[in-house]
Amino acid sequence: MDRAERRIVEALTSNPPEVSYNPYAYNEDIELLSFPVAIVLVAALANDYIKRRYALAEARRAYSLFKLENEEKIAEIAGKFGWKIRVINRQIGFIRFSFALHFIDYLKNAIAFHEKEWKLVNRMVHNGEVYLSKHDVARLLQEEVRRYIESKIDLSAEVKIPEEILKYVEKIRQICSEKIKETPLEPIPSGVVNDAFPPCIRELYEAIKSGRHVSHIGRFTLTAFLLNIGMDAESVINLFRSLADFNERITRYQIEHIAGERGSRTKYTSPKCDTLRTHGLCVGSDELCRRVKHPLTYYLRRTRALEKREKARVEE
Amino acid sequence: MIDNLVFIRNAFSRYYSENIDRVEIPKSIENREFGFTLFKEGVMVRHKGFMKPEDLKDFIKKNIPSNVFYSAAYYSVPEAKMDEKGWLGSDLFFDIDADHIPTKCNKKHDVWTCRGCGLKGRGMTPDKCPTCGGESFDDKTWPCEICLETARSETIKLIDMLMNDFGFSPEEIKCSFSGHRGYHVQIESEGILDLDSDIRKEIVDYITGTGIDALLHGLEEVRDGKTRFLVGPSLDDFGWRGRIAKGTYEFLLAATENDLRNLGLKRKIIEKILSSRDEILESWKTSGPWNLVEGLGLDGWQKILQHSATFQSAKIDTVVTVDIHRLIRLPGTLHGKTGLLKVSFPVSRIEDFDPLKEALALKGEEVKVYVDEAPAFRLGDEIFGPFEKQSVTLPLPAAVFLLCKNAAKVID
Ligand code: SF4
Ligand SMILES: [Zn+2]
Ligand SMILES: [Zn+2]
Repeated sequence: MDRAERRIVEALTSNPPEVSYNPYAYNEDIELLSFPVAIVLVAALANDYIKRRYALAEARRAYSLFKLENEEKIAEIAGKFGWKIRVINRQIGFIRFSFALHFIDYLKNAIAFHEKEWKLVNRMVHNGEVYLSKHDVARLLQEEVRRYIESKIDLSAEVKIPEEILKYVEKIRQICSEKIKETPLEPIPSGVVNDAFPPCIRELYEAIKSGRHVSHIGRFTLTAFLLNIGMDAESVINLFRSLADFNERITRYQIEHIAGERGSRTKYTSPKCDTLRTHGLCVGSDELCRRVKHPLTYYLRRTRALEKREKARVEE
Repeated sequence: MIDNLVFIRNAFSRYYSENIDRVEIPKSIENREFGFTLFKEGVMVRHKGFMKPEDLKDFIKKNIPSNVFYSAAYYSVPEAKMDEKGWLGSDLFFDIDADHIPTKCNKKHDVWTCRGCGLKGRGMTPDKCPTCGGESFDDKTWPCEICLETARSETIKLIDMLMNDFGFSPEEIKCSFSGHRGYHVQIESEGILDLDSDIRKEIVDYITGTGIDALLHGLEEVRDGKTRFLVGPSLDDFGWRGRIAKGTYEFLLAATENDLRNLGLKRKIIEKILSSRDEILESWKTSGPWNLVEGLGLDGWQKILQHSATFQSAKIDTVVTVDIHRLIRLPGTLHGKTGLLKVSFPVSRIEDFDPLKEALALKGEEVKVYVDEAPAFRLGDEIFGPFEKQSVTLPLPAAVFLLCKNAAKVID
């Protein structure tokens, strides 16, 4: 029980989060048994932040353990998660590939990583398998473990918790109370600043304004973006008025759907750069583009820069 | 005078009454959503479901739809509203259509007419009418041989990746001609059904080469003691690595001074590349051309490789593959814009498949029509047209083709 509590507290107080592994302090049985108990504790805490943080910490711990294992052992562990994986130990060019992993198992985990070397297109893929180094596989397994633990912790489940355990739950909750505060979202400046539009949005905006044909996904992107930066639905609808196939009723419905006012509660966020690139809507990158992953981030930075410039001018 | 739509509908009706078994029943029909367009209303009827193949066939025979679609997705309740259907999975689907690909014919055969002032023009439809500024057009697009060949070669590149890189077997890959200007490729294998849009997007990026980086495909500078030299991908490498090498080989085989200048290379270097072309091509047999051109370093090669990669990608319609609720045309049914059949064929036939022959499906007597305007077109072994404001007697498929395109009228 104590070890289970320590596992969670470690996860919440270390940075980056990681659960320690000390074979001398706790024997293997305790290590094994404390894990399911920790999962129940985290579920009982019913807090999404703790859940994610704990899963990440356990996963990082697993990662450090995997790195110490040999190829066969790693393949065996991966097999337990249902991965189709083979040890190949093959040298191609200047790189040594230790494993070949089925592309679906690869994608399900690599999708969480955003660096370009994790994009499938930048990997050696042959006959349904992705060729990987030992380090790559350990990293992918870490992600698998993280997803696995998160899926095991069901916050909505009504778990009957014995008195005994509740004590621990309270204790952990106290220890972590400052940690749990949600980080507030960056405030979006009020008022729409056209000059701060990223190139992709500017292009779509101009196209719509001059009544040119814009693809469905292009319209969605523009609408969601404008709503996200605080334009009201009415102004967005008016923007679409110049289109040849403008239909007030349908446009209103679509835009209010995206805004989340009608029918479903969903409020959509405009797509990220990566998605726009896939669909050919990213128009070249300027300096700032290269440093952002989302058109909204581009917009926020630019508005801030513009504001500063404004101030500077006033003070002069 | 017979109404065009009535005439086409009769021809479709005859096809469906005689060939209803050519309509291909999708796997797990009870979990698929169906959609139809009808001649009269011209609107899409969606959210239809059928428990048995016979129900679907009866529906088609009775209603004679102008187009038949079904969902690439599987649902627990296909007839429910979109967010209540219960998504179970979706086939992996690719659409290659000449509409989205630049072609050598420049679509000169396509005609657009401004709805505002009636101005006509050729090629890609403009955004705005040059005369009246109107933005709404009627367009007639034609499946020309060049368009179809371009679509075929993109499909071949796609199939190559699906088999060699993704490891799908020929039996797992279903190919078909769309009935208009492109090809469809579909995979129904167990493993891919539950993939979400994000993962499908990664597959799309792989196929279109989006986000590819030559530096992650073997191009690098190595140090050996004091000397530094470049290494790069070779022709027999797997996957994109080999593809980049092949693309570079082909690009340098034919590159003009202009092509190289467009990459932003310096004049001196361009001259050197052009003058040592033979040597460069020869070098692929050994360690590659990376150190052959003095002054051409990592940056320059990277530009060449990135550019070369674009020719190796397959130009699929990105939106279609990522959309896990997509409706697609049902194989064995007629295309309302051409009267041609969407027809399936085995992967092995992609090279020699003749869409304008094998998609012919309508039978009946010759028809006399008045053609307003049509470019020359081939159906089967015969070439028809070009026609301009004239009456001609045509075999039924050719007549229906023009009627569907709204380029002719039936004269009795
Ligand atoms: S990089 Fe992002 S913000 Fe810049 S144009 Fe492309 S999609 Fe827009
Ligand atoms: Zn006009
Ligand atoms: Zn053409």
